Amino acid sequence: MILTFMDHDGTKLRKSALESVTRARKLAQTIGGEVVGLLVGPGAETVAQEAKKYVTKVYTVSGPDWQNYTAEKWALAAYAAAEAAGAKVVITPASRSGRSWSPRLAFKLNAALLEDTLDSWAEGEKVFASKYSFLNRVLEKQAASFPAVISVKPNTTPLAEPAGEGAVAALSVELGEVENKVEVLEKISESGGKVALTEAEVVVTGGRGMGSAEAFGMIEELADLLGGAVGATRAVIDAGWRPYGEQIGQTGKTVQPNVYFALALSGAVQHQAGMNKSKVVVAVNKDPDAPVFKESDYGVVGDIHQVLPVMIEEVKKLKNA
Amino acid sequence: MKYVAIIRQVPDGESKIKVDGGKVSLEGATLILDQMDEYAVEQIIRLKEAAGGEAVVVAFGPERTEEAMRTALAMGADRGVLITAEGYVDPITQAAALAKVLAEEAPDVVFSGGQQADWDSQALGPAVAEALGWPSVTWTTAFELDGASAKATHDLDEGAEVVKVALPAIFTAQQGLNEPRYPTLPGIMKAKKKEIKKIDAAELGVSASKVEILEQQIMELERQGKIIDGSKEPAAAAAELIRLLHEEAKVL
Repeated sequence: MILTFMDHDGTKLRKSALESVTRARKLAQTIGGEVVGLLVGPGAETVAQEAKKYVTKVYTVSGPDWQNYTAEKWALAAYAAAEAAGAKVVITPASRSGRSWSPRLAFKLNAALLEDTLDSWAEGEKVFASKYSFLNRVLEKQAASFPAVISVKPNTTPLAEPAGEGAVAALSVELGEVENKVEVLEKISESGGKVALTEAEVVVTGGRGMGSAEAFGMIEELADLLGGAVGATRAVIDAGWRPYGEQIGQTGKTVQPNVYFALALSGAVQHQAGMNKSKVVVAVNKDPDAPVFKESDYGVVGDIHQVLPVMIEEVKKLKNA
Repeated sequence: MKYVAIIRQVPDGESKIKVDGGKVSLEGATLILDQMDEYAVEQIIRLKEAAGGEAVVVAFGPERTEEAMRTALAMGADRGVLITAEGYVDPITQAAALAKVLAEEAPDVVFSGGQQADWDSQALGPAVAEALGWPSVTWTTAFELDGASAKATHDLDEGAEVVKVALPAIFTAQQGLNEPRYPTLPGIMKAKKKEIKKIDAAELGVSASKVEILEQQIMELERQGKIIDGSKEPAAAAAELIRLLHEEAKVL
């Protein structure tokens, strides 16, 4: 059996859930067994109606104890589902939360953890995965024995198509000691975060060259027009212009969108670590010698305050055409 | 109270990476205290300075990890415990050994870096917490002690939240938590005399790595580098850029 954790927003599956299903199905072809799903948290029952189209059985864990995410609770739910399913492999999203609880699950299962993988496959009694390492600069191949927990890097895997009508089973999980260790006091929503940064197909990042927090209004506008997310460099975060959650780079988030706009930023190696696997990189900078141009597919040497407004207008024309 | 930072020694992100015989070679590379771990070390020193107690650094790694540990001691940590093992050992396997040392040290608060600059792993902090049955909070940007618990702000997939966490607990650090200090010259001198206790990983019953690294290659994508000079006519350059993205790259 292969268990796949299916991330959702309370009403529908997230894209990462369908990437995980694709990975699970691929492994099932080699090692055999069925693909079963797991939904945790508020709305699990609702989302199960969608999720069951992708797996032979979907477990739901919800109720008053499961309103708020904590790494301990989610690991416990996944452990219970893995045991119930007799899973040899558990597939999880390599989102921030997924990468927070999947190590706990691997420890519980005494399993190998293959983290943030680009691809995964099985041969005989071994499971293999590829992933980036050394700040995204090295591609490595890893091997492990079963059981294994595999987290799937966002935007690396084709989305699964529905394939039938599975069963839904509510799973009762006792929290025990875990219950009151972490209490959520306050939720802080990300400003302008209409699309999750790590899942966005388009990321528009501004650097210190934007000049002010107000100038990020243009960045937000371009991101909104393209259905994308806003990113920022460390310098911008340090200046207090944008929230920490938007930082791209070594000490921030890693993204791999279809198009990455690097606007008014120089392109330091720490920043590259967070975006250098983007499909197409577009840079605008007034300095023709900025390192960012060496790492870009397209670029304009020019003043961001003159170039960006025209870019926005041109994109609007495209949208209206 | 006692505070622990779990640290690692990694190659400096600024230095070039070499691959030799299908594996990354660290020969000649500048090795440093992981920059993400610097936030962890700074945090435990601040906690100690504010409320007293002891700040201890703990690591699992090859003998050379002592250099990074000395950096942490020079910043102001009191002493170190180094579990020595050569070669690659995955974070889940490391966690079992680190948990044994932490169970003995019995700290109230543990910090470690949010992501490792060599393996790009985020697993060590949560795995050690699981081994000890303690809560874990990742990507912490603000922290304060509050009696037998701690109040922490940390990033989620989207947005952030403030949590109250029962101690002992493990937190992973990131930028924003604090501004790590540089070691001072007197600090470096003092660090030379501070205790580093070394324990062979085998003595802690560390099993073989669950994960094997088979091969590594340097991965740099070829970029097209089609740069338009917009210094004189920025509007025309911007329009041409969007046209190229739409018609040629077909991404808009």
